[in-house]
Amino acid sequence: MRKKTFAAALLAAASLTLSACGSGDSGDPVAVVSEEAGSQKAATVLDKPFEKPDLVLTDTQGKPYDFRAATAGRPTLIYFGYTHCPDVCPLTMNNLAVAKKQLPQDQQDQLRIVFVTTDPERDTSAALGTWLKGIDSQVVGLTGDFDTIQAGARTLGISIDPPRKDDNGRTVSDHGTQVIAFSPKTDGGYVLYGEDATVEDYTKDLPKIIKGEKP
Amino acid sequence: MRRLAAAAAVVVAGALTLTGCGGADGSGSGDGTAELSVESAYMPQPVSDMAAGFLTITNDGGTADRLTSVSSDAAGQVTVHETVDGAMQEVEGLEIPAHGSLVLESGGNHLMFERLKQRPKQGQSVSVELHFDRSGTVTVEIPVKPATYHPKTGH
Repeated sequence: MRKKTFAAALLAAASLTLSACGSGDSGDPVAVVSEEAGSQKAATVLDKPFEKPDLVLTDTQGKPYDFRAATAGRPTLIYFGYTHCPDVCPLTMNNLAVAKKQLPQDQQDQLRIVFVTTDPERDTSAALGTWLKGIDSQVVGLTGDFDTIQAGARTLGISIDPPRKDDNGRTVSDHGTQVIAFSPKTDGGYVLYGEDATVEDYTKDLPKIIKGEKP
Repeated sequence: MRRLAAAAAVVVAGALTLTGCGGADGSGSGDGTAELSVESAYMPQPVSDMAAGFLTITNDGGTADRLTSVSSDAAGQVTVHETVDGAMQEVEGLEIPAHGSLVLESGGNHLMFERLKQRPKQGQSVSVELHFDRSGTVTVEIPVKPATYHPKTGH
């Protein structure tokens, strides 16, 4: 349901860009507005926050990681993706990592950024660790049983299918299209970002999210 | 600082016009040819031996062309991908319509570089050969941008 909405929004965004480049029919003003950073809010504050998913998985050290216990009372960002993803997954994680580095050190240490793989077969603890080292070694990388990951994602309105082979025998995986921020005050997932959120959006919002305030 | 670097790179990308198209006879003004140019090319600085590449190919000619494959000495393999509903898949080729354009952009279609021999850094560029049905092979230098680069904000 939520996924459909996002897909539709993405399609709309894509077609706006296409028609803008095609120099043709309509000078749609919406496309112009969206080019200005900050004129549209990247954050969606949820009326009904999500509960934290009950995810007990394995971290990049190969140790068990209980998401609820480990992030209780801390500002937390979660994203579902996979490392064999050249485009949106590293972009999203780099956006979060670069925005995080603008925070004072004590706030950086408070913040939990959690990357959950949607491709646990290829993304072992070691593979996740190597990939995340290129982004930010403070990011928590989690892998484990796909069904557990899928069920956890579903409680956040994120729908992912298991990795499968395409016609050429290459693995196709899904990534989530959103980042969810959890409040340190309530532990509720109260802010949602789509994949068009930029590093500027996160840089602007993180100081508020650190305090559990609405961005 | 970052901003300056990005601005310089945009100029480089903007200058990527494909004058040396193979295939076409060179007069180029008739309706029977595809006249391609490439703009807005960039590669976000990769975090592993894999990277994405984005660009816009515009066809000012009266005949459609088709991007059939991509190669680069910098990578073991380069493929063309489309993203559908959060999953990406390889495609056989993509059309550049007559008097139209093909946009490869983040979240949509992209080039996928695998087994990069060296991890290119921001400020460098990657040489890539685009192979077309009608226009032959065209080489473009794709500038490497910050990992968080967003073409709409320009940084």
